[in-house]
Amino acid sequence: MGGYVLNEVRDALINLDMDKVLELVKKAINQGFKPLDIINSMAEGMRVVGERFERGEYFISDLIASAEIFKEAMNILEPLIMKEREAIKPTGKVVIGTVEGDIHDIGKNLVAMMLRINGFEVIDLGIDVSPQKFVEAVKQYNPDIVGMSALLTSTMINMRKVIEALEKEGLRNKVKIIVGGAPITEEFAKKIGADAYGENAVVAVDICKKLVEELRSKR
Amino acid sequence: MKPRERVILALKHEEPDRIPIDLGSTGVSSIHAKAYYELRKYLGLPEKLPRIADIGQQLADVDRDVIEFFHVDVIDINRITEPKAPYPRRYKFTGVDSSLKEVSEDEFWVWRAPYGIDVEMPKYVEVLEGEDGFIGYVEGRPFGKIPKTGYYFWGLGHALADAKTVDDIKKYNWDAGKVSDDVVEILKKRAEYLYKNTDYALVNPFMGSPIALGAFRGLHAGGQTLRGWDRWFGDLKFRKSLAEAILDHLFEVMFYNIKKIIDAIGEYIQVQVIGYDDMGMEVGPQISVEVFREFYKDRYAEIIGYVKKHSKAFTFLHSDGSIFPLIKEFIDIGLDIINPVQISAKGMEPEKLKKTYGDQITFWGAAADNQHVLPFAKPDELREHVKEIIRIFAPGGGYVFANIHNVQLGVPPENIVTMFKTAYEYGRYPVR
Repeated sequence: MGGYVLNEVRDALINLDMDKVLELVKKAINQGFKPLDIINSMAEGMRVVGERFERGEYFISDLIASAEIFKEAMNILEPLIMKEREAIKPTGKVVIGTVEGDIHDIGKNLVAMMLRINGFEVIDLGIDVSPQKFVEAVKQYNPDIVGMSALLTSTMINMRKVIEALEKEGLRNKVKIIVGGAPITEEFAKKIGADAYGENAVVAVDICKKLVEELRSKR
Repeated sequence: MKPRERVILALKHEEPDRIPIDLGSTGVSSIHAKAYYELRKYLGLPEKLPRIADIGQQLADVDRDVIEFFHVDVIDINRITEPKAPYPRRYKFTGVDSSLKEVSEDEFWVWRAPYGIDVEMPKYVEVLEGEDGFIGYVEGRPFGKIPKTGYYFWGLGHALADAKTVDDIKKYNWDAGKVSDDVVEILKKRAEYLYKNTDYALVNPFMGSPIALGAFRGLHAGGQTLRGWDRWFGDLKFRKSLAEAILDHLFEVMFYNIKKIIDAIGEYIQVQVIGYDDMGMEVGPQISVEVFREFYKDRYAEIIGYVKKHSKAFTFLHSDGSIFPLIKEFIDIGLDIINPVQISAKGMEPEKLKKTYGDQITFWGAAADNQHVLPFAKPDELREHVKEIIRIFAPGGGYVFANIHNVQLGVPPENIVTMFKTAYEYGRYPVR
């Protein structure tokens, strides 16, 4: 797909070369490539970065560096695609937050960024988010997915409270729920009635894509 | 055998009579106040309010009766309950109500902590209730916030998050991290007193900087504290001149402090902490060996080198998580002790660690899998688990038994007792 320069963009991103990526993005724009095609090349690059991280070849420092490159590139590309934005449907809509009593957000922020990179619309409720706030956000934004993060074994139990609150309001079946964070396990996610467990930001994106498909085929 | 001799032999990779035991000598081998309170109740010890030794992490000072019960061999020279040195610091600062305060380190007030018990907080700490938690102040300086349902104080923001140039970096008050001569004098008196009046091995876990300035506890952690945990990674990759400027300043202060401290107490202490510098995640190191060599190796080499050249003290580094390849780098530059040895992190299996590094570095920690086993196992299971770990780590010395990081709330007191009891009973040399 695309031209030689798009492959170069992808590869520069894989090699975490910020200067080269930005230079090539500008070159690609000048050569007339569509912003969305450039973004797709970068997304491909991010996928490879994610795979290298999963294999232990790249470290969290590399994952975060790649996200920073992507963000800088988006600063150049975003204004150009604003016009096209209305025509493009987002991959899905996600409401995300760190649960009540917990103030950790680095993991959640990484997931939010990876989701945005993959075309999701993300509403980030921040940290220390009460069940009530999650419910209000679902009512207000009508998302496909609710994502919850917790870093402490003492706060992860609040995830169940959010699910119960959604059930009480008759909203549980309108959304898919994914949970994540250091103490979270597949078992715990099942126990509290979540739909999925995301072990890391890379895996979480793939899961969210599948969850949106499930939800939309149901509708 | 006296505790001090026991610890020294272990650190020299010789086998003493039994494995040395640590509970409470550092802020990464101690116990949360709530867990401590429950432990004392379980042991039927006289009821007393936990005295907070580490404000941020809400760690209790471990009293003499518990130290003796667990056969602990090593103490912090800055202990605030007996056996302590009679040299409290004096603090003069402007309090949150803008009045001038003069208090001794020995003076305490009772605080009803959000985790449900009364604790003794030192008077140089003040706590103000906010709308979603409590803000803690040390010597009038805000240093952290504990949520209404929280267990610890968390840091407030990143002082250099908005810095763009090396000049911005220069403007930070780096000198505020330097240890004052009066504090050094007190450390000297304490170390000498405890050296002469107790048989314990002595640790100085204090690196010299004020509590509110957590940036000076480690080079990598320092960069992250000042710039943001994740932004620092971008600095190391894309803004190297900024990162180098920050590290030059951090190093200058850390080296200044270590020099002053070791010159004063080097002859009395057995262990000096040279960094609390988390470089691991659960799934792998945060950084590659190349990055470590580019930014941190030489600087730590100088700090460690100073301690080695000017004292007989052993150097101690704390780094959580999966750090297997980084341990070799630290061995290269002379590090004596690695802590806490998080055996549940990737690549940190006990056999692999002992086989690869066992005769080159001391493992201080690694008592039990604190994430999956210690909080949940039945005592019999736990005992077998701990025995297996001791069997692997103990031979040849180079092992000091301590919980992997601080004992947290929710760990059953029965399990805490089982863990340390097993160390004392099973950890006798030769370990079979």
